[in-house]
Amino acid sequence: MIPFVLYFAAGVMSGYHVYTLLTLAVVGAPFDPLEFVSLAGSLALIVAAYWSLFRPHAAAKLALLASLATWCFYGPAIAHSLSRL
Amino acid sequence: MVLLWAGDCPLTKPVVSSLFGNLFSVTGMILPYLAIALLLIVTGYSAFVSFRQPRLDSESTWLFPAGTQRSARIGVAIFTVAILAGLTVWLTAGARHSGRHPSRFLIPEGYVGWVRVEFEVSGAPPVPLEGGEYQFKLPASGVLRTSSTEEFGWAKDRYFYYSGKETRPLPDSGAEGTRFIWGNINGEGSGVQGKRKYEEFFVGTEQQFKQHMMGEERGDTGAATTPSK
Repeated sequence: MIPFVLYFAAGVMSGYHVYTLLTLAVVGAPFDPLEFVSLAGSLALIVAAYWSLFRPHAAAKLALLASLATWCFYGPAIAHSLSRL
Repeated sequence: MVLLWAGDCPLTKPVVSSLFGNLFSVTGMILPYLAIALLLIVTGYSAFVSFRQPRLDSESTWLFPAGTQRSARIGVAIFTVAILAGLTVWLTAGARHSGRHPSRFLIPEGYVGWVRVEFEVSGAPPVPLEGGEYQFKLPASGVLRTSSTEEFGWAKDRYFYYSGKETRPLPDSGAEGTRFIWGNINGEGSGVQGKRKYEEFFVGTEQQFKQHMMGEERGDTGAATTPSK
């Protein structure tokens, strides 16, 4: 159950966060195409969570790829936030 | 430009705060950090599991399970159904309350600048509802105060210049050079008269809108809400 909880929580948290940022683009907030890559990664994390119930090792590989996709947004975002400090 | 938190954006900050209020300012600030912390754990965990050679004789542990018991799978299935049912109820309830009356904004002919409608102002007249549309007739100052409450939800608003009884429509979307309504925001501000809910938008061409925005960034307050006839 640990892999399920981890992958699911990470997928939902990061997915919801990126989704809220994307919805704010409607009112003029700047957005980056990498946010879509990150959102796809979050969805893949949720898929990996369910897959981990049946094939934990294969699901871990998918989760690794998915989390790397999610970092596509968070990596530059963290770098940008740190540069503003 | 990538923003970790869209509330930092000067254009969307008032919109964000009005949309989500205190809830978003608290959970919204925690959410990115929580997501990053979980992502760090998941990346490390999944990398370790992916590159770890699974041995046939290795025991299944709680941290690295070889599989999941049937009871746990049933629990996850029940959890998933509950989540989906909750989402369906929430979205259905939200869709029922998403409508509002459309608004018809009447702006003095030739007015260029920011327009502001302040709601729930005691002593101010209510906004008339005619033909299913709220009629916001703005004075030459561009600021209208009303005792009416602001409605939220989706509706198609219309914008017009008026001169006497004559009106002409102002497009709020469309091709470059034809649009006249920009930067529509709803917010809540505090001042000496207490909290005020308001709606603001800019009337003018795209070039005039950009000039006003640049003027505000430079601190040139005279650039905002300047009627020009």
